[in-house]
Amino acid sequence: MASRATTIAFDVMGGDHGPVEVVRGAALLSLESPHLHALLVGDADAIDRALAETRHNGERISVQHAPSWVAMHEKPAAALADKPDASVMVAARLVAEGEADALVSAGNTGAGVLAAARTFRLLPGVRRAALASVYPTRTGHGEKQDPFSLILDVGATVDASAEDLVTFAVMGSAYARIISRNPNPSVALLSNGTEAMKGPPRVVEANQVLARRPGVRFVGNVEGVDIPKGTADVVVTDGFVGNVCLKMLEGVSETVVELARYAYASRLRWRLGLAMLSNGLKQLKDLTDWQQYGGAPVLGFDRLFIKAHGRSRARAIANAGKVAAKAVSSELTRAIQEGL
Amino acid sequence: MSLPDRIDPHPARRIYRWDLDKTYLQTDFDSLRQLLRTALQKASEKTAVPGAAALIRELGASGDSRLCIISGSPTQMRRVLEEKLKLDGVEWDELVLKDNVRNLLRGRFRALRGQVGYKLPVLLESRARAPVDAEEVLFGDDAEADAFIYSLYADLIAGRVTEPVLARVLAAAEVYSDDATRILAAWHRVPRADPVRRIFIMLDRLTPPAYFGRYGPRVVPIFNYFQAALVLLGDGLLTPVQVVRVAREMVQTAGYNLVTLSNSFQDLLRRGLPLQAVAAPLVQALEGALQGPDKVLAALRPVPDIVNAFTRRVAALGSTPPLPEARPVDYLKLLDDARPRGSRERDRPTKRTRRSG
Repeated sequence: MASRATTIAFDVMGGDHGPVEVVRGAALLSLESPHLHALLVGDADAIDRALAETRHNGERISVQHAPSWVAMHEKPAAALADKPDASVMVAARLVAEGEADALVSAGNTGAGVLAAARTFRLLPGVRRAALASVYPTRTGHGEKQDPFSLILDVGATVDASAEDLVTFAVMGSAYARIISRNPNPSVALLSNGTEAMKGPPRVVEANQVLARRPGVRFVGNVEGVDIPKGTADVVVTDGFVGNVCLKMLEGVSETVVELARYAYASRLRWRLGLAMLSNGLKQLKDLTDWQQYGGAPVLGFDRLFIKAHGRSRARAIANAGKVAAKAVSSELTRAIQEGL
Repeated sequence: MSLPDRIDPHPARRIYRWDLDKTYLQTDFDSLRQLLRTALQKASEKTAVPGAAALIRELGASGDSRLCIISGSPTQMRRVLEEKLKLDGVEWDELVLKDNVRNLLRGRFRALRGQVGYKLPVLLESRARAPVDAEEVLFGDDAEADAFIYSLYADLIAGRVTEPVLARVLAAAEVYSDDATRILAAWHRVPRADPVRRIFIMLDRLTPPAYFGRYGPRVVPIFNYFQAALVLLGDGLLTPVQVVRVAREMVQTAGYNLVTLSNSFQDLLRRGLPLQAVAAPLVQALEGALQGPDKVLAALRPVPDIVNAFTRRVAALGSTPPLPEARPVDYLKLLDDARPRGSRERDRPTKRTRRSG
C-alpha cells in the first residue's frame, strides 16, 4: 500500500501518429498493467478527446497539459529554445522531479535526447549518453532465446571516443542482462575486421581496454555481416555508424516485404506459394516485429528514457511503456552504475 | 400525493437506488462457469466493489434516505444476498430480485435476459410509493442497460418522454405486453417531478466514458466509488469527512493509494465536472482524520504530499473543459444503435415502427 507504483510519462504529441495512437497505447497499458500509471503530457484537450473514446482505466492515467510540442522535422536545439514548454521537455522535467519514473517518446529523437540531457544527470563515469536499439538476428539470445541483439549507440553520440565506447559496452551489457534476461551477454565492437588491430584508433583503443576489463564478456570485434547473424548479444559502435546500420537493417526488411508483395501480385504460382507459407511468415513477422519490443533506451542518464519508433502505434507505445517499467523495477540505472 | 406521503412521519428526502451485480458486488457471469460459481457462492465469499459498502453507509447516515436495491439476480439468491448486505453493514428498504423461474415456466424467454421490462416497472412502482419531493441518485453499471433504463425512468417521471415515444421504446425493446401495461399504469400513478439528480454508472467493463455522453451530464460514468463520493460531495449530498471514509475503505480493502485516488479526481475534472472547489475541504477533512490514530490513511503519505498530489492534478490541466450541455435523449436511436450491425431490426426501422404501432 505504501509502496509507490511505477509512473511512466508519455510525450503524447510526438511521433507520426501522435497524439491519438500514443494515448491509445497508454490506455492499453492502463488495462494490461495494473501496477503501472501513465502520465500523459501534451495538449490536454487533444488528450481528453482521444481518451474519452478509448477503453482505459482512469485510475491509472493522469494528464499534464503542455502548450506546445516539437514536430518531427524541426531542429531540436532551435525548437526547444523556441518552445521551452514543449511536451517532451515538460515530460522530461516531470521525470527529473520524480513525478514519473521514466519517459517514453515517439517524437523527434534529437529533441528527446536533448530534453533528457538538459533535465537528467549523466551517471558518474558516463561522458555521453547512448541510444540503444534491438534488432532481429539469426540466432537466439538470453534466457528466452529471443532472436534479438542490442546495438548501441544508434544516434545519440555521433562522435564517440574510445572511453565512450567502453562506457557503451558496460551500459549495453547491463541492459541485456536485465531487460533481455541474459545473465552473461557477449559484447563486441563493430569494426572493419575481427582482428584487434583493425579499425580506427578509437576502436583499437577501446578493444584493448575492454579486453582487460572485468564484468564485461568482451568477445572482440565483429564485422557488419555479423550484425544480422547475431554473433554477439551486444554490438557497440558510435552513433553515426550505428544509425547507418540500423536504418540499413530496416531498409532491407522493408525491401523483403516489398519483394514478397511484388511476388504475390505477379504470378499465381508465387501467390499460392506465399499463401502456403503465410502462417510461417506471420510467425516470423510477429517474432521480428519491432512493435512487439517497445522502444530504444537512452542509456547513461540517472533517469530512464525510452525512445519509441516514430511510426509507433498503440501496441508499440504500450510495449515501450512496459520496457520502461521493467527497467525501472529492475533498477537498470543502478546496475549500469555498478558496472561502471 | 401518494398515501405514504401523508402518513409517514419521517418521509425520505432522498432515495438511493442500487443495482447489485457489478455495481455493488464484484460479479463475473460472462460465462456459464462463472454464472454457476456466482450462484453457488456463500455470502462470505462474495466481494463488494471497493468503497460501495462505505458509500451506502455514508449516504444512509443522515437517516432521511431510503435504499432501494433492484437486481437481476434470481429470487432464489435472496437469502445469500441479504446475508452479504448484512455482513457489510448495509441496511436496505427495498430489495427486488428477478423471478426468472416464473418467466421460464410462462415461456417468457425474452424476459430472462431482458432488463427494460423488468426494471422499469419496478422503478416506477417504487417511485409511485415515494414522497413526491424525494430526490434520487441511481447507481448501475455498464454491463447491461442501466444507463438506458435509469435515464428513461428519470425522463419519464420528469415528463420529458411522451406516451407514444414510450410505447415505441417498449416495442423496440421487445417488452412483453403485460409488462408494458404495468409500466404505463405505474407511470400514470407517479406525480410529475424531476427528482433524479445523478445516475452513476460503474465502468465494470471499462466502456469509454464518452459512450455515455449521449445520456447527458446527469449520467456520470465512474471508475470507482471515490469518484461517486467526490461528485456527491460537490452536490452537497456527502460531507468531506464522509468522502474520506469512503476512500479509507478503498485503501484498506483494495490497495488504493494516493496516485489512484488523485488520478480519479483529475479524471472527473477532465470530463468537465466542476469539482475544483471540493479539493480544499477534502484536504482539510483528511488532515483532521490524520490527527487521530488512523493507520490506514497514514499509510497514504504525509499530509503535505496528499495536498500536493491533489493540487498538482488540478494545476496540471491548466484549464478544465466545461460540462457538456444537457440535450434530450433519443431513446429510440439508442436502442437502434445497440442492435448488432446487420440485424434485420436495425436495418429496417420502418418494420419495427409498424409492429410497435
